[in-house]
Parts: sequence; C-alpha cells; structure tokens
Amino acid sequence: MIISTQPLKATVFIAIFCFISLGLNAQNGERIFKNSCIACHTVGGGKRVGPDLIGITTKRNEAWLTKWIRSSQSLIQSGDSIAIAVFEANNKVPMPDQNLSDAEIKEVVDYIKVNSTTAAVPGAATLATSAPQVPIKSSDIASAEEILLGQHIFEGDTRLTNGGVACISCHNVASNRIIPGGLLAKDLTTVHTRMGGDAGLTGILNAPPFPAMAEAYKNRPLTENEIYAVVSFLNIVEKESATQSATATSPLLKYGFISFAVWIVIIFIVWRHRKKYAVNKRIYERQLKTS
Amino acid sequence: MDIRSQISMVFHLDKCIGCHTCSIACKNLWTDRKGAEYMWWNNVETKPGTGYPTKWEDQEIYKGGWEINGKSVSLKGAGKLRGLKNIFHNPYLPVLDDYYEPWTYKYEDLFTAPEGDDQPTARAVSLVTGEPIDVKAGPNWDDDLGGSIDYARQDVNLKGLSAAEQEVMFQLERMTFFYLPRICNHCLNPACVASCPSGAIYKRGEDGIVLINQQVCRGWRMCVTACPYKKTYYNWHTGKSEKCILCYPRLESGQPPACMHQCVGRIRYLGVLLYDADRIEEVAATPNDLDLVDRQLEIYLDPFDPQVIEAARKNGIADSTIESAQKSPVYKFVKEWKIALPLHPEFRTIPNLFYVPALMPGMASVQDGIYEESNTQFLWGGIDNNRVPIKYLANLFSAGNTEKIVDVLKRLMAVRWHRRQTTVGDVAQEIVDKAMGEINLNGDTADAIFRLTSLATFDERFVIPPAHREESIEMLENTADVKGNTGFGFKERPKRGW
Repeated sequence: MIISTQPLKATVFIAIFCFISLGLNAQNGERIFKNSCIACHTVGGGKRVGPDLIGITTKRNEAWLTKWIRSSQSLIQSGDSIAIAVFEANNKVPMPDQNLSDAEIKEVVDYIKVNSTTAAVPGAATLATSAPQVPIKSSDIASAEEILLGQHIFEGDTRLTNGGVACISCHNVASNRIIPGGLLAKDLTTVHTRMGGDAGLTGILNAPPFPAMAEAYKNRPLTENEIYAVVSFLNIVEKESATQSATATSPLLKYGFISFAVWIVIIFIVWRHRKKYAVNKRIYERQLKTS
Repeated sequence: MDIRSQISMVFHLDKCIGCHTCSIACKNLWTDRKGAEYMWWNNVETKPGTGYPTKWEDQEIYKGGWEINGKSVSLKGAGKLRGLKNIFHNPYLPVLDDYYEPWTYKYEDLFTAPEGDDQPTARAVSLVTGEPIDVKAGPNWDDDLGGSIDYARQDVNLKGLSAAEQEVMFQLERMTFFYLPRICNHCLNPACVASCPSGAIYKRGEDGIVLINQQVCRGWRMCVTACPYKKTYYNWHTGKSEKCILCYPRLESGQPPACMHQCVGRIRYLGVLLYDADRIEEVAATPNDLDLVDRQLEIYLDPFDPQVIEAARKNGIADSTIESAQKSPVYKFVKEWKIALPLHPEFRTIPNLFYVPALMPGMASVQDGIYEESNTQFLWGGIDNNRVPIKYLANLFSAGNTEKIVDVLKRLMAVRWHRRQTTVGDVAQEIVDKAMGEINLNGDTADAIFRLTSLATFDERFVIPPAHREESIEMLENTADVKGNTGFGFKERPKRGW
C-alpha cells in the first residue's frame, strides 16, 4: 500500500504543481498572446490571417512550435515539410518572428493548451480571444466621411490621437486618392484580403505583431474610431485598385520636372545679365595656341 | 565728433616711371606662396588700359562698391539679401582668366634635356595646374599701351568722351599714357568689410588698416565681389581671402610698406590723416557724384585745430600720432595744397589713397602732316591742351567733376612755371604771375610743393606714427618670459606643447 500510495501522492502533487504552474504560465501567456498573437490568431474563434490555434498543441509538438514561433521563415527555409505546408495553406503570409525567450514561448504555448481544452467544451466562451467578443463593424458600410478620415490618417493630414506616425511614412498604397507612400514596409494595396479582412486588420492595428510597427505604436495605440477609419480606407483602396492601373506612377515626379523647368526659366530670366564669361574671353579666343 | 586716425597715402603719378619695382617688392614679401601667385596686392597699370583684373572699374560687370539707397548707401553686389542670393553661386566674381593664369618655366629642362638638334627651351608651366600652358595674359599685359585695341580702347574711363576725343587720344603723335600704381585703399567705408558674411574683415582701430582675419575667413568671397578696386583676392590653396595688409608689421616697427620703401621714382608718400568717423555715412551717401571729392576732403580734419586735438585725445589717439598727423605729407598734398585726388570716389568707399594726376601738357602737334615741336607760343601748352583729356582724368579721379581736375592741373602747372622762372628764368614774369594768381598760389607754397615733390627725404615722405602696440603689451606682460620658448610662426600653443 505504501508503495502504491506514494506514487499516487506524487502524481497528485505533481498534477497540482503542474496545474498551478500551468495556471501561472497561462496567466503570463495570456498577456503575451494578447500582445503578440491576437492580431492574427484566435483560439477557437475561427481563422483570421493565421489559422485558429485551437488544439494546436496536440497537432504539433512543442519543439516544432517553439522553432516556428521563434522564426517561421527559418524553419521553412530549412526545408521542414510541415512548415512549408502550413505556409502554403495560409496564402503564404509569413508569420513575423517573435522576439520571445524560450520561457515565454513555453508560457504562450501552455496558455493555448489550457484554452484549447476550455474552448473545446461546448458552450464555453472563447474568453482568451477578446476581439470576437465585440462583433466588428463591417468596413463595407463605412460612410464617405469615415473613409476620408482614414485617408487623412493614412496620409498624415489628420494626426493620430495618441501621436502615432502616419501610415504613409512606411507604407504605400497604389491609389489615385493619395500620393505614393514609403517603401520601408509592405505595400498595403491589397492588404484587406491578404490580412484577413476587417477582423484581421483590426487585430493588427490593435496590437501590431510586426516588430518595427509594434515598437512604433507601443505607447501610441490607435483609437477604435481611427482603426475603423483606416480599415475602411484600406478596404476601399483595394476595391478601387481593381479599376485603377496597378502601377500608379508618382505625380510628384511629373510636377518635379515641370517645376524644375519653370525654375530654370526663372533663373535664366532673373540672372540674364549675369557675368557669363571671363572678360578676356574674346581676346583669348583670338590668340594663337600651340596645340 | 568721433576722431580717428588713418594711415593714408599719396602716389604722385607725374613721378611714376612704371618700373613695377613696387609690385615685385610686394610679391617677394607676401604673395609668392602657393595659391597666391596670381595675386598682386600692388600692381601698376597703364592708363588708358583695362587694368588688372581686366575692366575692374566696370561695376556693371563686377558689381563692386556702394550705391545710393535713400539717405544711405547699400552694397551693389553683396550685402544681406543680395549676398544670400549669390552666396553659393556668385556669377559676378572675377574668374582666373579675368586676372591671368600664373606660370613659371621648367628651367630644369635647360639642363636635363637630351642632346638634340635644337637648343632646349624652358616651357611655360601653369602654377595652378602644373601643366604646360600657352601664356595668355599677365597682370600688366597691356603695359605701355601693348595691344591697344584690346585694352586701351576698352578702357572703362573713356565713357563720356566723344568718339572724336577718343580718336585723338590714339593718334600717333598725340598718343599718350601714364601709369597708375594701385594698392588697397584702406577705405573709410570699406565695402569688403561690409560684405563679409563671416565678419572676418575689420578695420584696425589705431591706424585704419583693413585686414582679413585668416582664422575667421570662410572663403565666401563676398569681399572679392564687394571691393570695387578688386583688391581682395581668394587664395585657392588655403581657401581664404587675402588682401594688402599695408605691411603693418613693418609700419609697427617704423618702416614704410615694402612697395613704398622700394619705389624707384619716390612717388609714394605715407602719413596720418585725422578724420571724423561720425560723418562717414553722410559723406558716402553724397547725392551728387560731382560733390564727392569735396565732401570727402571735408571729413579729414585739421590736426593743428585745438578742438580737433582735444577730441582726438579724448578718443585715445596718442600725442605722437597727432604729431605725425601734423607732419603728414598726405595732409599737405590732399588738404593744404589740394593737388591729390582719390581714385574713383564714385565707388563711395571713401578711399585713403590719393593720386596727384599726371600733368601732361601738349608740347608738340601735327599740323597738316607737319610735326611741330610746340603748338603754343610758350614752352608748354595750356591745361586745355592737355594730352590726356580732362574728362578722362575726371572719370578716374573725381567722379566726372572736370573742375576739380582743371584746378589741380592749374596748380601743378603754376608750380612748374614758378620753378622754371626760379631756376632758368626764361619765362616772362606775367605768365608766371597769371598762372600763380589764377589759383592764389604764393611762391613759398609753390616752393614747398616742389620740395616735397622732388627733393623730399625719406623721413619727409614717410611720417609713420609710432606704434604703441608693443609698448602696451610690455606694460602688461614681461615679454622676456617667453623669449626662447615661442618659435617663429606660432601664435597659438600647438597640441603637443611648445
């Protein structure tokens, strides 16, 4: 008996310990998940940009998950067949590398594991995925004013409430509505479909998963209205892009050349009496030269 | 009254023989360095001629000097707005071809050339590029009317002369020229100082010498444009501008500037003038060009006037300087005898270099193709018969005021008649009396003019005020402390220590 009870006690103890530690992990994991994953993923909330992560811990082993989370692209490039399959199954949208420690990755995986079980129970709310709690207003029905607001936010004509930088600093959309933007980051012309529609974009703008963008907006989050406006704008841009030439050339270049020509003409008129040649030029030209 | 002292100069053009010794003295002393080869702080030009740099007097080309702006004056080609407009590209700057490309010869070829059929020659090599060049011009390329069509006839000062008058100037038997040596005028209203965006140019308080601080100069070259006499030069090697420093190290040790010291014809005089700095703007902004000379002369004050002396002392001018001003040959030529005039007063910089214009009376003429020795009943032709048109001289020395020139020439002529009478005695007394009476010149003054013109000793020609700079330093510091510590050429302590 003694022999039999000892393992039982140990098992219970370990189970309790595991549960507590798992619970602690899960608490930390929840924070990380909300910061880094929620933009693209749900646990039991359906597919967004990335797949629903419910049951992912049973589907893939932890070592693989850790590698994937650390750098999905490296894993793909190393020729891992599962990784390539996953990549292709998700429209080849690369998952950004996460700057997380091993412990943190473990915490977030544990969090997903715990929530997968709770979500699996019928009727249980997907508490972890906060986004779907409030149904997202469709950007298809956005008013012209809201689209215009989005455009102004994108261009930087309207300042973001919390002082974030305008999208155009890094991003470009091919649209006749605005001038071409930066080329530091992805072109956003077709981002609406590419990144999971309203829900995906709202998630990304809420908590940007991309390192540079996350850093830029860390202390300067967008408000709900602003997010909606930008999403609406990106939606309309994508719809319009079908009827506009895909490679909208910069009008800046054209205007640049025109104004350059105008300035040249002005300079030639204003400075027409300037000293153009050496005073001795005529004399020198007449002189004999040895060569 | 804000009395200050100014070292000023008189060049007596009747005495200049155009030997360029002054230029060489200056060149050897100051501008034989790399980047400065093309500079001639002192140069001698032949007039009529276009000078150096070519046509420097034409401010429509170079935009130098001041122009009237309301009740004051503003710079023609520099200053705040105009300077800013041209600060990164200034088309009005003279280019190297407007001066000339300096050159030397490959003398070593004379010794190292391999044996051949021909005598080896030393090729001309540019001092700028180091490449062999065709010599195209020099700083006195139009000397002695060389290339008259290209140079003499292009003279800017011929404006206002009728075609006939100009033609007469270049007729073979009448053709004439004189030399015009030029250095920095150390102006009272210096355009170079006003134009400098870096504030590197300043006019020394104690003697009015205009200097460029080589440590502050940033090479904007606005001074080169602004100076209407083109007497600031850009050193392409150091990237700084340079100009005549009136040999201030020599002046401080009681010696005249090198150009003056070396002058073969002894045409140069140097002395102190006291002037009223409060009136500079008013004089520079004289509305009528014709009044400029008279107004400028008013600014210089009588060093014997007790009021002036008192005000000068109050302003910290040393007694020794006032004494020098009283002995100043320049004061005599300019103010007492009124026979020296500033060069191009219409540039409104109030220059402090005065010229006694050359008196060139007609002594012969061609009548119906026959050469006659004298065209007058007297020895010399009258002023009206001057070989250089009065108008031409007026364009040079009195901003077009011919009366001033006639007045000066009459004085010079009267002195000449008087001396002829004194020494030779072949002139009718009434001619001498008429010449002297016309301008109220008495025999003593005429003799004094003659004496300072022809017989003056070194100390009479150069009355240099003692520089008190060293003395004042010695009062504050023991200069012997650094004796043996500081090497020549160091002003500041080098990083490694002395």
